[in-house]
Amino acid sequence: MGSLSQLYLPGAVSLWCALAFAVTTLWGYSLVLRGDETARPFARRSYGLFALATVLTSAILFLALWRRDFRIEYVFQHSGLDLAGHFQIAAFWAGQKGSFLIWLLWGALLGVLLWRTTGRDLEAPVMGVYTLTQLGLLFILVRENPFVMLAETPIDGKGLNPLLQDDWMVIHPPVMFIGYSLTAIPFSFAVASLWRRNYRDWAARAFPWALAGFLILGAAILMGGYWAYKTLGWGGYWGWDPVENASLIPWLLLVVLIHGFYMERTRKRYRRANYILSVLSYLAVLYGTFLTRSGVLADFSVHSFVDLGISRWLVALMVFFIVLPTWLIATRLGQVPTQTNEDSLLTRGFFLVFSTITVLASAVVIAVGTSAPLLTGFMENPGQVGPEFYNQVNQPIALLTAFLLSVVPYLTWRERPPREILKRLIVPSLVGVAACLFSLYLGAYGKLHILLIFLATVALVTNFEKTMARARVGGVTAAGGYLAHVGVGIILIGFLASSAYDRQVKVTLAQNQPQTLDNGTTLTFTRTMPRTATERERLEIKVERPNGSEYYAYPKMFINDRTRQLMVNPHIRKLWNMDLYISPIEYDPGRPAGAPERLQLAQGQQLEVGDLRVQFLGFDLSAGGNAMAQMASDQPITVGATLEVVHQGQTTALTPRYTFDQRGAAEAPPLSLPGGGALRVGGINATDGAVILEVIGAAGMAVTAEPPRLALDLTEKPLIQLVWFGLYVILFGGVLAMVRRFRQARLSEQLADGAA
Amino acid sequence: MKNKLPYFVGAMLLVTFAAYSLTSFKDTLTPYVSYEQARTAERVVQVAGGLDKSDIDYDMAGGSLRFTLLDPESDDTLRVRYDGLKPANFEDAISIVAIGQFDAATNELAADKLLVKCPSKYQGVETKEYS
Repeated sequence: MGSLSQLYLPGAVSLWCALAFAVTTLWGYSLVLRGDETARPFARRSYGLFALATVLTSAILFLALWRRDFRIEYVFQHSGLDLAGHFQIAAFWAGQKGSFLIWLLWGALLGVLLWRTTGRDLEAPVMGVYTLTQLGLLFILVRENPFVMLAETPIDGKGLNPLLQDDWMVIHPPVMFIGYSLTAIPFSFAVASLWRRNYRDWAARAFPWALAGFLILGAAILMGGYWAYKTLGWGGYWGWDPVENASLIPWLLLVVLIHGFYMERTRKRYRRANYILSVLSYLAVLYGTFLTRSGVLADFSVHSFVDLGISRWLVALMVFFIVLPTWLIATRLGQVPTQTNEDSLLTRGFFLVFSTITVLASAVVIAVGTSAPLLTGFMENPGQVGPEFYNQVNQPIALLTAFLLSVVPYLTWRERPPREILKRLIVPSLVGVAACLFSLYLGAYGKLHILLIFLATVALVTNFEKTMARARVGGVTAAGGYLAHVGVGIILIGFLASSAYDRQVKVTLAQNQPQTLDNGTTLTFTRTMPRTATERERLEIKVERPNGSEYYAYPKMFINDRTRQLMVNPHIRKLWNMDLYISPIEYDPGRPAGAPERLQLAQGQQLEVGDLRVQFLGFDLSAGGNAMAQMASDQPITVGATLEVVHQGQTTALTPRYTFDQRGAAEAPPLSLPGGGALRVGGINATDGAVILEVIGAAGMAVTAEPPRLALDLTEKPLIQLVWFGLYVILFGGVLAMVRRFRQARLSEQLADGAA
Repeated sequence: MKNKLPYFVGAMLLVTFAAYSLTSFKDTLTPYVSYEQARTAERVVQVAGGLDKSDIDYDMAGGSLRFTLLDPESDDTLRVRYDGLKPANFEDAISIVAIGQFDAATNELAADKLLVKCPSKYQGVETKEYS
């Protein structure tokens, strides 16, 4: 917290105002709940002021970053004088405090939309619970105030982590936090509904918000994958890293919740499960935040944040938001009226239950895998699970999902004869077989792979047919769900092709020496290209494909000016059936011909160079006068290195001299070596008492030049475009469904308001 | 009773999947172990330690890196072989986590993944993963 003198007051005061208005909002709505209708406008105004104060707080921090006000510690830590224009936006969420603030900002703004869509009957309890979730974030921000000032003003900040200086990093994190904020809305509806024992209308109104969360979080995950693929250069779009999983788990839970809401709307079923799912999707966000922000995974993850001391607050927050709904669910869930009609096997109801459990299982195993370090923490040797765990457990889930999806479009709520369904599956199955034959021709192998290609293709075809049929009858918004299923079919094929069939080779190329790989591709590293006004240093690689086509790849590789870190950007070549991905790893500038070989010798040590053996006996401080006296009188100092050189059995004593002054200028005349060549002192390593010698052209020494070498990763990523395209289709289907459900939610409110 | 069957089959599938996941979890778990345990472990493990800067042997053309890890708690050391290219800023590493299996024939840990922690201006410490 710090005393007042250490805080940047405009920002801190604005943050405290937000806290105060959040509290008055709660008070206002509690009056409404006790039946005081006159308090409703007051509560709404309070909430509006809370949102306004949050906007103001964010604006103040943003301005401070923009003005590079290094008095503020957060600005000092995450910005710098050389930070270019739009990357300053990314500095806002580069640290923990700023990312909590952006999370709160979106939450506050969403609430303004929320109280207009709850209906009068549910407004007070929903807004009450929702404001509580915002208060949780506010508490963390007040504890970890972004406006803490430094004792003195530095002239420059530390700058922004170069990995974050990327266009995707300007847009990906804020979108992710909108998604996180959205998960609090179905949570608030569920808790409010149980608390007020108003079990009827909440689901219809929470439904579009769950879809919005699914959509925005999905878009953020897509951007994150794209960023990893395009910028990081490790060759993949998904690494099952805890930070990635922390966003995927809530997303999968939202998928389940959407289907639960659909069941409730159409069949009055799943009503109890939807309470649990709504609560879980928000808790998954909190838990993921805890895992990735508290430092508990510090030894296991690549980009977990360091612990800021917020773990306690995050744990307290989680406990509060676990205990409250759990108690409500435990005491009241039994009172929720629900339909438990037993479905027979071939009905839409049974398949829905079955597929939601399948997706839920995936979310659970990913959560368990991500939590491995915590789960095994009490053992003698805590551990983590690698990517292979996630790939293994999700394999049967992918197969089952593809199978269920392929049948779903032909099912109805009442059982139909199996023959009828099978008959309709004939044509899609033929398409599936054709797809399998084509993939075999492209080089697919393995029974499970072929099975997945078959099922995913059938799912794609049957759902596409259903999408068209629904769009013709009920307009395009009625087809959203089935269109999303089409996307799932596409993305499953993309996952399989780009993960099971990606071929990665690491090669080291010497400049201008073509190298042919096993797959027939010939690579030649032709030149390095210097930095220009608009482009960083690039490398030029000529790629000749076995089919005779050739092109030049220009991956980037440079040293960051500020951090001296090596940065790489891959070059991606898109072909119709794959991406060719070239990522540089290391560059060795080599040695020109005739460059001296440098050796370092400690006293008494001897080394072989060419046909010679050189032994260093020690420094001679009187080789050029008295070195001690020279040192005392600030003159240039001269020392000699006493050496014994053995060549073909003959021992020669040599004492090359080395003259240097305090300013670092040095002189070292070379001495001829027996058998040709020369030697001189290249420097003195005073700490080890060692001498550094430079030898040129000694007998038997290799004089060949060392060419520059470049090590790189060449990866073939088959059909990776299907991953992006499939996710786009899924999200577009989500947009259509969201539009439709928002219309229905409005209708439900109007009916409720009319009845009131 | 007839329409209870699908649910029974579903429950069986779920139990089977849970068992399968648990097995997979156990198989892919890479525990953090001491060097002593790493030498006798018959599986992929993780070890952590400081880098002995005087003992780094790297061949870029062949793409192999050998180095020695120093246990911060004891004076135990472990030789590590990593078939790959040397991670950027490798010499500045504060600590290194190597994930792999011990190869008794060469008396070194054959690492297939390295986590290199370097001092960073941005977060105090920065970890990078190489595999």
